[in-house]
Amino acid sequence: MDFAYTPEQESLRQEVRAFIEENVSPEVRQEIEELGIRHRGPKVREMYRKLGERGWVGISWPKEYGGQDGSRIDQYIVEEEFARAGITVGGAGSGAPAILAAGTEEQKKYFLPGLIKGEISFALGFTEPQAGADLASLQCRAVRDGDDYVINGQKMFTTAAHYASHIYLMARTDPEAPKHRGISIFLFPMDTPGITVRPLWTIQNDPPAPSGTTYGDARTNEVFFEDVRIPASCLLGDENMGWYVGAMGLNLDRVGASRYLISVKRDEDIVNYVKENQLGDYAVAEDPSVRDRIAELWIEAQVCRLMTMRSMSLVEQGGNFTYEGSAEKVFAPEHGVRTTETISQILGPYAQLLNGSEDAIEEGVFAHNLMGSFQSGINHGSTQVMRDQIARRGLGMPRG
Amino acid sequence: MDVLPNEEEQMVKNLAREFLEAECPPRLAREMEKDDLGYPPELWQKMADLGWLGISLPEEHGGQGLPLTYLGIIMEELGRAIAPVPLHSTAMAALAVAEAGSAEQQRQLLPRVSRGDLILTWAFTEQTPRFRPETIHAEAVPDGDDFILTGTKMFVDNFNVAEQCLVACRTAPAAADGDTAAANPGAGLSLLLVDTASRGVSHTPLTTLAKDKQSKVFFDGVRVPQANLVGPRHQGWPIIQRMLDRGTALLCAQMVGAARKDAEMGIDYAKNRAAFGRPIAAFQSIQHICADMILWVDGGQLLTYEALWKMDQGLPASVEVSQAKAFCNDKCEAVVRSSQVIHGGMGFMMEFDLHLWFRRVTAWTMRLGTSFEHRAKIAQSLLDQPGRVRLGMDQIPVG
Ligand SMILES: Cc1cc2nc3c(=O)[nH]c(=O)nc-3n(C[C@H](O)[C@H](O)[C@H](O)COP(=O)(O)OP(=O)(O)OC[C@H]3O[C@@H](n4cnc5c(N)ncnc54)[C@H](O)[C@@H]3O)c2cc1C
Repeated sequence: MDFAYTPEQESLRQEVRAFIEENVSPEVRQEIEELGIRHRGPKVREMYRKLGERGWVGISWPKEYGGQDGSRIDQYIVEEEFARAGITVGGAGSGAPAILAAGTEEQKKYFLPGLIKGEISFALGFTEPQAGADLASLQCRAVRDGDDYVINGQKMFTTAAHYASHIYLMARTDPEAPKHRGISIFLFPMDTPGITVRPLWTIQNDPPAPSGTTYGDARTNEVFFEDVRIPASCLLGDENMGWYVGAMGLNLDRVGASRYLISVKRDEDIVNYVKENQLGDYAVAEDPSVRDRIAELWIEAQVCRLMTMRSMSLVEQGGNFTYEGSAEKVFAPEHGVRTTETISQILGPYAQLLNGSEDAIEEGVFAHNLMGSFQSGINHGSTQVMRDQIARRGLGMPRG
Repeated sequence: MDVLPNEEEQMVKNLAREFLEAECPPRLAREMEKDDLGYPPELWQKMADLGWLGISLPEEHGGQGLPLTYLGIIMEELGRAIAPVPLHSTAMAALAVAEAGSAEQQRQLLPRVSRGDLILTWAFTEQTPRFRPETIHAEAVPDGDDFILTGTKMFVDNFNVAEQCLVACRTAPAAADGDTAAANPGAGLSLLLVDTASRGVSHTPLTTLAKDKQSKVFFDGVRVPQANLVGPRHQGWPIIQRMLDRGTALLCAQMVGAARKDAEMGIDYAKNRAAFGRPIAAFQSIQHICADMILWVDGGQLLTYEALWKMDQGLPASVEVSQAKAFCNDKCEAVVRSSQVIHGGMGFMMEFDLHLWFRRVTAWTMRLGTSFEHRAKIAQSLLDQPGRVRLGMDQIPVG
């Protein structure tokens, strides 16, 4: 066991901080405020380009595809520092783990360097109106036609669809097979003819959520596919094996710095806030009940951190996840909810004030969080389904 | 950064588990609840022969000189097997001697500990069940080459079989060295090694939830040679704090081991018990309880080993220790209670073994610091010093 970073890793962290200080200028920040982090404006794109030059995206990916063959821990350090500055680097939903595991040589050579340079990003097309947690019942169809596939159907909550360059789509290729065995994954450009994107607006962003809000995206989408024709080379992994291909990536996509920080950032925020502020005559940080509760939440946040480190350690040891990724995905989001709700009781009526309101605390971030903290326990595998997986895969308990 | 056990640590763990599965069935824990000694000397001797008793004691005194994480692994496995052995109290006192004892004390005591022919214990708590220096009233007054020790200690572990007891006592008022008592309540405390067979020492056994051996111990004008002082006179508090921290983290390891075994028994039981035409393990509500049990034990385990590891590195670790203990108190209790629930009425039956784990883990939540007490320490370190906090960066302990 070794609970420390190496001196090299500590100096990498310093380098990343210096880079952020130098390159994440007020203008870059303003662009992020206006457009959202994933929706890249020109200044943000420039920043990502420099980041790519440093070799800091996909550090743990193979050299031949633009990575560094480096350690997952190094990659985590970069992700963490950027996530703290409100910037996503790699992490959840990159699609890369599945491409590395199942992609053809051609796909790896095309997508991975593109992801690193920031020229490619994926919208994740999993969920449908009738297939959420029970994803394997999805109905969007892909039919083989000569050298092509033709796609028809609808996706739901496809978050990045209005700015991503590509979609990572799960579709049904064999409607006769048992539901897990008739699914395939396709990677193709969002500007392919026949795709329509319609916005869905979240409750968290009216008024606009301040940066640092833990879910934050104002918009997600529904996406419609009408006779969308794509070459067969867009297939990732074998036909009808998409469920298993997706699963290879999913555990790795569930872990990492941004996932972890989504759940614990507000612990730091509330501690720092009550240290530096009083509410009128009320010295919050001296209230024994508040102190006890804050300490309790802090301990849980440490557990979130350590569970993330456990996942990183597992990746480094090349080991298999049985339930550890799911464990993290239950504990951290539920912890995030507990903290968010506790903050509302610590700050009382001030915690209801939204961004822009007179007397709002920290631009209303705590109020905006209250509207969305539970979301990270729903998407990317709900806590209920994650607990099922811990019980079944981790503990060998039978299906109901 | 690798929070998982390495190959060597895993090997020690596997060997310990195999040995205890063969040599320490639950029957033994049950028998020892009614035994006068409370531990089986044969098992103790075998543990000594395996090198466990001195695993983290210095090599020059017959130990193995391995980091505390190794002792943690042994404690975890002992907890899993609810092994009725006096290692926890012995290790706490022995490690304090290894840290702060004189060369002579170390030479005299430590090799005997490793060999298995010296059981030790420690005594801190008096009437006030808080681990604060101002709770100590037992007093040692110099008299020639000796001290005369007077006071009463509570909850002293394994006192019935310990040959020596490391006693926290006052050798000067709290305001010694010109400090005011409020500014430095730790001043004036010392640690004394007391031979339990000395004149003036007596004890009353306590009847406890875990049915372990704890005593109320009376020191009535006991004569103790000044050479038995462990560490500097009047300045024992930092040594005591480190002893308590180590003991607390090691207790957490024991709790985690016991709670995980208890959870596994619940999971196995659920797979084999049928209701409404299927194994109860097929019900989602049962599955989710089981998933939570594993999450909680895992969390406690990670916190515990981080604390032990920090101590090994010589880093401040008392915040990490408090994190581990507060979490283990709440969550290990929830684990063993949940497992009782899964067992329905059966877990409540004396003849069924589950309660052996349940009662012990429950009792351990009350030992070496309650959740409130530990969280108060964490709150101090978070809130009572300047500067912004950040998770994963060091928290500096206060007090
Ligand atoms: C803001 C936002 C962004 C999103 N972004 C994306 C994206 O980019 N791409 C994408 O594909 N999807 C995305 N999603 C969708 C997300 O992954 C789904 O919401 C999630 O999978 C749950 O599906 P659902 O909403 O249909 O809920 P349902 O599946 O209808 O579930 C409703 C409730 O039932 C529970 N439940 C379901 N099955 C079980 C069971 N077996 N046992 C017990 N309880 C159960 C669930 O846990 C949940 O609490 C996003 C969602 C939101 C809100």
